[in-house]
Amino acid sequence: MAEEKNSKQRHHRSMLLDSMYPVVALMLVLVACVELCDAATVVDVYRLIQYDISGVPFGSRFSSLNHHAASLSFQHGADLSRSVLILPLRELDIAFVQDYISQKQSLGGLLILLPQTFRPGYIGGGETQDGLRVLLAQLEKLLLHSNIPFPVYFAFENEETDAMLADVKKNDALGQQATATTGGYKLVISVSEPRKIASPTITNIQGWLPGSRADGDSNQLPTIAVVASYDTFGAAPALSVGSDSNGSGVVALLEVARLFSTLYSNPKTRGRYNLLFALTSGGPYNYEGTQKWLKSLDQRMRESIDYAICLNSVGSWDNELLVHVSKPPENAYIKQIFEGFSNVAEDLGFQVSLKHKKINISNSRVAWEHEQFSRLRVTAATVSELLTPPELLESAGSLSDTRQHVNEDSIIKGVKLVAESLARHIYGHQGKDIQIFADNSSLAVNRFYVKSWLDSLSQTPRVAPFLSKNEPLIMALKKELEDYTAEVSIQQESLDGIFTFYDSTKASLNIYQVASVTFDLLLLLVLGSYLIMLFSFLVITTRGLDDLISIFRRPPSRKIKIA
Amino acid sequence: MTLFHFFNCAILTFGPHAVYYSATPLSEYDTLGTSVKAAVVYLATALVKLVCLATFLQVSETEVFDPYQEALKAMIGFIDVAGLYFALAQLTHRNISQNHKFQAVGLGWAFADSVLHRLAPLWVGARGLEFTWDYVLQGLEANANLVFTISLAALGSLMWLRKNKPKTLIPIIYTCAVIIATMPSITSYLRRVMGWHFPKVVGFELMTSLVMAFISCQLFILCQRPSL
Repeated sequence: MAEEKNSKQRHHRSMLLDSMYPVVALMLVLVACVELCDAATVVDVYRLIQYDISGVPFGSRFSSLNHHAASLSFQHGADLSRSVLILPLRELDIAFVQDYISQKQSLGGLLILLPQTFRPGYIGGGETQDGLRVLLAQLEKLLLHSNIPFPVYFAFENEETDAMLADVKKNDALGQQATATTGGYKLVISVSEPRKIASPTITNIQGWLPGSRADGDSNQLPTIAVVASYDTFGAAPALSVGSDSNGSGVVALLEVARLFSTLYSNPKTRGRYNLLFALTSGGPYNYEGTQKWLKSLDQRMRESIDYAICLNSVGSWDNELLVHVSKPPENAYIKQIFEGFSNVAEDLGFQVSLKHKKINISNSRVAWEHEQFSRLRVTAATVSELLTPPELLESAGSLSDTRQHVNEDSIIKGVKLVAESLARHIYGHQGKDIQIFADNSSLAVNRFYVKSWLDSLSQTPRVAPFLSKNEPLIMALKKELEDYTAEVSIQQESLDGIFTFYDSTKASLNIYQVASVTFDLLLLLVLGSYLIMLFSFLVITTRGLDDLISIFRRPPSRKIKIA
Repeated sequence: MTLFHFFNCAILTFGPHAVYYSATPLSEYDTLGTSVKAAVVYLATALVKLVCLATFLQVSETEVFDPYQEALKAMIGFIDVAGLYFALAQLTHRNISQNHKFQAVGLGWAFADSVLHRLAPLWVGARGLEFTWDYVLQGLEANANLVFTISLAALGSLMWLRKNKPKTLIPIIYTCAVIIATMPSITSYLRRVMGWHFPKVVGFELMTSLVMAFISCQLFILCQRPSL
């Protein structure tokens, strides 16, 4: 009986020990957890791009941040080298920022707060004022072309940042430093230092739609190419969605491909031209992707290209669309193309104009995509709403290029223009008053298709060096072209040349309310005196006052006693 | 700097126990063993309570005050009292006077309670950059808890260890003991139903602890007279 009891007790004891193990393990885990999410606020922030052109550094060169917050109302002459300056876009003074950067004054960091309307995927109403957009464009230009030795981040305003900024302003105006629980804020972004992106890849996607050969005709069919570059470049690569530049071009290309695939699916309506659709990358970098793609084409294929239409920014125009060429307007091919466009435009009720810009062979700058074609002796033109050729790294998807300012109707008009003129050329109906892609027909331009692709592209940042090889966007574009064309191929090249990029484009900002050291010292003082008082109180009540005094008095020295 | 805050809160939470031990005659009589035994009994009691809570209590999603659940929690809280009884009456202590026995047991009990309930949150939370008053308030709560536990131990020793008590005082002793034992339920009631914030609750606890300590001290002195 006793043995049974003993074994039972042992069993219970071992069970108890077993159940203690998870408790012990949990305690160990808790002890090991050094950093838990204990910030009051966490905000998504997007870093300014960091890049080199031929070794010359541009953009923000640092990424991690651990400083106190400061606002514009700081006292004059205050040292901001250990503070992060918070600038809402609405109160931005470009001259101030320019001074700060050009005079190389040291700053802990810069946090620019943008209104929510600039957020990609922002659905709510509220037109952003044009003044803000212009200001943002100016700011972007300034930041992109300067070498900034401190981290610069963009964030979107929300309630918490507004509250924090109000607090910081109040305290700065009073000249107070961070005090206990009132207004001391510390901004921490802990990411590793940015590294070079080893070999950024650019991916070109091409779709081939063959035409129908007449029986007995052994000659190579001529080809017409429609090209658009899909990647962007902007101040904040994680926010570069480029709705107009060049999301609108990509959407227009996809819709044209869809329309022609419908036409070509029936052998009776298949034209005597091959169609080549290409979505190229590397647009902002002198159209390097287009050049590589062209060079990779088979020579015979390239020579069979009759002409190429490049689409660049067709999303926010009203009455006039421009056709940019590099061959002189007197050239027969150019005349033909332009006549085709203007006839269609007349029918559709808007205007097209021809603009000629000569290529300067010695200048490496490629302003329009068609120039890459022209350099390889292929006739090409760019259809665009832009009047002047964009500068290097401009109009390539900036922060102010959001979905709200792109009009589906403009894209639809552009699609109709390109599709109709191509169709009239292919089927030999130039000059005739025929509408092939008429509204309410089975070949009508699909507004919902345009809108949905535009919405989706306006939420996808597309800066080429930050796109991986199997990026979902690229796969989606490839699949879309596969639906509409017979053969799709992907070409992946590395972006060499003069550009170098650095990673770390997105981070989480932790905002802490901190107490100053003086507060901690004060608290220590208070607690110390409390414990001493408690000690004295307890000694007095339990042992008597004499005992308390005797603790502090030294025992009388022997010398005095003897004496 | 944040480690500084952790240090501050730690001495607020655990300092008074050490001070109590060294200031009162407990240190002279070397009653550390008793305190340690009381701490171990507290651990066992806590485990038993956890098991009972897990078995009988339903976890509600919202912070709704359910009287039935609260009554159940209060009943399980009486396991605490049982544990204290065990520590006071059943364990064999060295020959120390009753006066010091309840103090040592109360001290050990309260220290174990503070460590178990407050050390982990303190370690994890007070070292962060973000400043909150929570941990200072928690330390104050630990102080109040110490006073409560010692009062409860005093009343417990009166109830179970002293044989001849004046008849009139017995109900008072028992009511006070019940009030102190149900203190957790009272605070949770205040927090949830009355919507009191943490600082207010801690202030209430501190005041009640002082009042209770005074009452139990008086009762102890009153009960001591006949046996003298």
